[in-house]
Amino acid sequence: MNLVLIAMILALLIPFYVACRDENIWQTMLAFASIATKTSVMILVVSVLRDDWWIGVVGVIILSVGNASLMLLAQVIKRMSDVLNG
Amino acid sequence: MAIDLLSYICIGIGIFFWFWGTFPLLGKRSLLFKLHGLSVADTLGSMSIIIGLLLQRPNESPLLILAIISLAIWNTVLGYVLAYCSTSGGSNDG
Repeated sequence: MNLVLIAMILALLIPFYVACRDENIWQTMLAFASIATKTSVMILVVSVLRDDWWIGVVGVIILSVGNASLMLLAQVIKRMSDVLNG
Repeated sequence: MAIDLLSYICIGIGIFFWFWGTFPLLGKRSLLFKLHGLSVADTLGSMSIIIGLLLQRPNESPLLILAIISLAIWNTVLGYVLAYCSTSGGSNDG
């Protein structure tokens, strides 16, 4: 199972690199959405490995609230760019 | 033993999906192409990983099923909202 976690961390490095590259804002949002999903699934894997429910609860909360807040942030960015562009 | 093998196969498929969907982020394709691949791979890959975990520890099933439902609903809606917001639309404001 440790190998699984290492492979997951390797997969997580790709969106981190994309988010660090300073490009289009939507590219960065895409990378952040990917990071949110991947980290919460990693938290669930760790919770099953350690047989600890409470870590898993944190993972599920991040899964739902994190995605919802990303949607709100996307709307705010769109409105801001609409206002700035006139 | 067979269930163990099945769960490892599920987790392996999920990680393969993750890599397959995330690598196009590095390329020069359009944003919508990347969004489509990423949302499909993240949703299906993560669901496959969680099903693998569910096979290993059935006593945590309520939490893991909640995670699967949340993935299935939120990730599809998030993909739609991101696609809608990233295309600077004219009169499709609603």
